[in-house]
Amino acid sequence: MALMNVDLGGLSMKNPVTVASGTFAAGREYADFVDVAKLGAVTTKGVSLNGWEGNPGVRIAETPSGILNSIGLQNPGVEHLKEHDLPWLSGQGATVIVNVSGHSVQEYVSVIEALEESPVGAYEINISCPNVDAGGMAMGCSCASVEEVVGRCRTATERPLIVKLTPNVTDVTEIARAAEASGADALSLINTLLGMAVDIRTRRSVFSRVVGGLSGPAVRPVALRMVWQCSGAVSIPLLGMGGIATAEDAISFMLAGATAVAVGTANFANPHAAADVVDGIQAWCEEEGVEDVNELIGGLIC
Amino acid sequence: MGLEDMQARVHANKQLFENLWLMELECPSVAANIMPGQFVHLEVPDLQANILRRPFSIFDRDEDAGTVEVLYQAVGTGTRAMRTWEPGLVTRMIGCIGRPWEVPYDTERALLVGGGVGAAPLNLLCQELMASDVGVDVILGAQTEGALVCRARYERTCGREPACSTDDGTYGREGFATVLVEEALARAQAEGRPYDYAAVCGPEPLMRAASQLLMEAGVRCQVSLERRMACGVGACLSCVVDTASGKKRACVDGPIFDAEEVLWR
Ligand SMILES: Cc1cc2nc3c(=O)[nH]c(=O)nc-3n(C[C@H](O)[C@H](O)[C@H](O)COP(=O)(O)OP(=O)(O)OC[C@H]3O[C@@H](n4cnc5c(N)ncnc54)[C@H](O)[C@@H]3O)c2cc1C
Ligand SMILES: Cc1cc2nc3c(=O)[nH]c(=O)nc-3n(C[C@H](O)[C@H](O)[C@H](O)COP(=O)(O)O)c2cc1C
Ligand code: FES
Repeated sequence: MALMNVDLGGLSMKNPVTVASGTFAAGREYADFVDVAKLGAVTTKGVSLNGWEGNPGVRIAETPSGILNSIGLQNPGVEHLKEHDLPWLSGQGATVIVNVSGHSVQEYVSVIEALEESPVGAYEINISCPNVDAGGMAMGCSCASVEEVVGRCRTATERPLIVKLTPNVTDVTEIARAAEASGADALSLINTLLGMAVDIRTRRSVFSRVVGGLSGPAVRPVALRMVWQCSGAVSIPLLGMGGIATAEDAISFMLAGATAVAVGTANFANPHAAADVVDGIQAWCEEEGVEDVNELIGGLIC
Repeated sequence: MGLEDMQARVHANKQLFENLWLMELECPSVAANIMPGQFVHLEVPDLQANILRRPFSIFDRDEDAGTVEVLYQAVGTGTRAMRTWEPGLVTRMIGCIGRPWEVPYDTERALLVGGGVGAAPLNLLCQELMASDVGVDVILGAQTEGALVCRARYERTCGREPACSTDDGTYGREGFATVLVEEALARAQAEGRPYDYAAVCGPEPLMRAASQLLMEAGVRCQVSLERRMACGVGACLSCVVDTASGKKRACVDGPIFDAEEVLWR
């Protein structure tokens, strides 16, 4: 049996596979398909301090080999997560990454403070959601705002801090370095690519906010490239995601420099996807004589 | 019952009228466990560009044979591809998803209203009500005579022809099914046997108008709502419906909703 455990910036994972925030809720909806304790970690849906309504109108559109979403970070707030989801996850024996959202720097900090006594393995700071007006991606696009929000979150916790980057910037490595310099323990990427779909009959965008976030196999090459770029730019570990559906996809991200990977949109097509990726990596390592999955990280030959 | 992602084998797939098709799939677990109003999330294999599953109601089942029927309208990429499925093709589906129709236990008389393929999720309910000796009246609406593809099936279940309307007047009453709803309400009143429950499924304007009429007449009314779905299991929040008690997921909090709860779009 190949060794599967990895260390993601201080978060010890029993294997390198988690799920992408927002595609797996807090795991319960998928419990009939995936034993959450079998995953390296469960990453929960973005949570804000008092909850958000999310966006009105159509929230999803299929595009070639991908989907556009405009959920708008609908969530019931951090107290609900603490009362209902975290106890269930810890009862199942899952390692938990909480995806943290805010409309302001202070809101991110307050969410972390609210969770400090709860069973959480790491925080993933979502400064990359394209579907909300304040906070989200607006905060992840300039080095100055990244430094401010990451710096403030850093002072609020000693737990592993993963900063989730948006691909919708000119140079992702610049943002990656800013996050590292401000105290991030790991980076996750990519969040969704800004996209759009038009209904020619109504001459309107499909979405009320006009734009949406693209995910799924369509974004995989872009995500892979960005993981590879960041792995050369920072020395903290990376959580790679974007279109990962199979063990082969996951291994390619690890070779490009990811320490761990997340399965997102693929869960919708195959509810067992995350567990299949765990099994597939294990099987591949055995076939290839890889004794420790850590050997794969950054193993790309250029 | 928990959810399962199951193999489903096509047994038959035939055109009923223009873009209306009936597919029979072998899937013993769904055949045994489906409750009226629930749906399955069906994979459309070999469409590289279309990664999502498609939600479909179960039109009928044969528990002994382990088969279910899906009545579908070819409207887009996925449903058009389904037309080409030959017997023997194997796909997958998640089932049985969602809240079923909830008929109050003391119901003596019920009205079922189906517009277009909206007739599909009412058939199992009709069977169940007939089996428990509830008086059932069925109203079916369609664009044209040929599109009233469920008529015979309902006739078999109920032992009499459902009341029908067509938009073009080629069969039954000309116009929308709501006219028949008004008449049914008046008749039930006159007979002194008012409806205790109504189930409506079809285009949203029909559901809205029909449920309005029914609620005004004091009938407890449920509707089956369609939303675009990604996960189909309650995780992604892409399918939300605005209700009096906030946003609800059509897939697992629905697809059946109490009409009085729904804030129509
Ligand atoms: C609970 C439920 C039960 C349903 N039962 C039936 C049924 O018994 N028979 C039937 O013919 N149809 C039914 N539908 C509608 C059916 O799911 C859509 O017609 C189908 O998904 C269209 O797929 P497509 O690939 O042909 O269309 P496309 O337009 O190519 O699909 C693109 C995307 O939009 C989604 N989509 C498009 N139209 C609809 C719609 N009306 N509702 C939900 N999603 C849609 C698709 O699933 C896909 O993700 C049901 C929908 C729901 C939500
Ligand atoms: C429906 C949906 C909801 C999402 N919600 C969140 C979220 O709450 N927080 C977040 O950081 N990312 C969110 N994302 C982005 C994913 O976590 C992930 O970064 C992105 O989808 C790329 O991975 P994928 O192609 O494997 O899905 C969401 C994506 C989708 C499709
Ligand atoms: S389709 Fe994902 S929550 Fe309903």
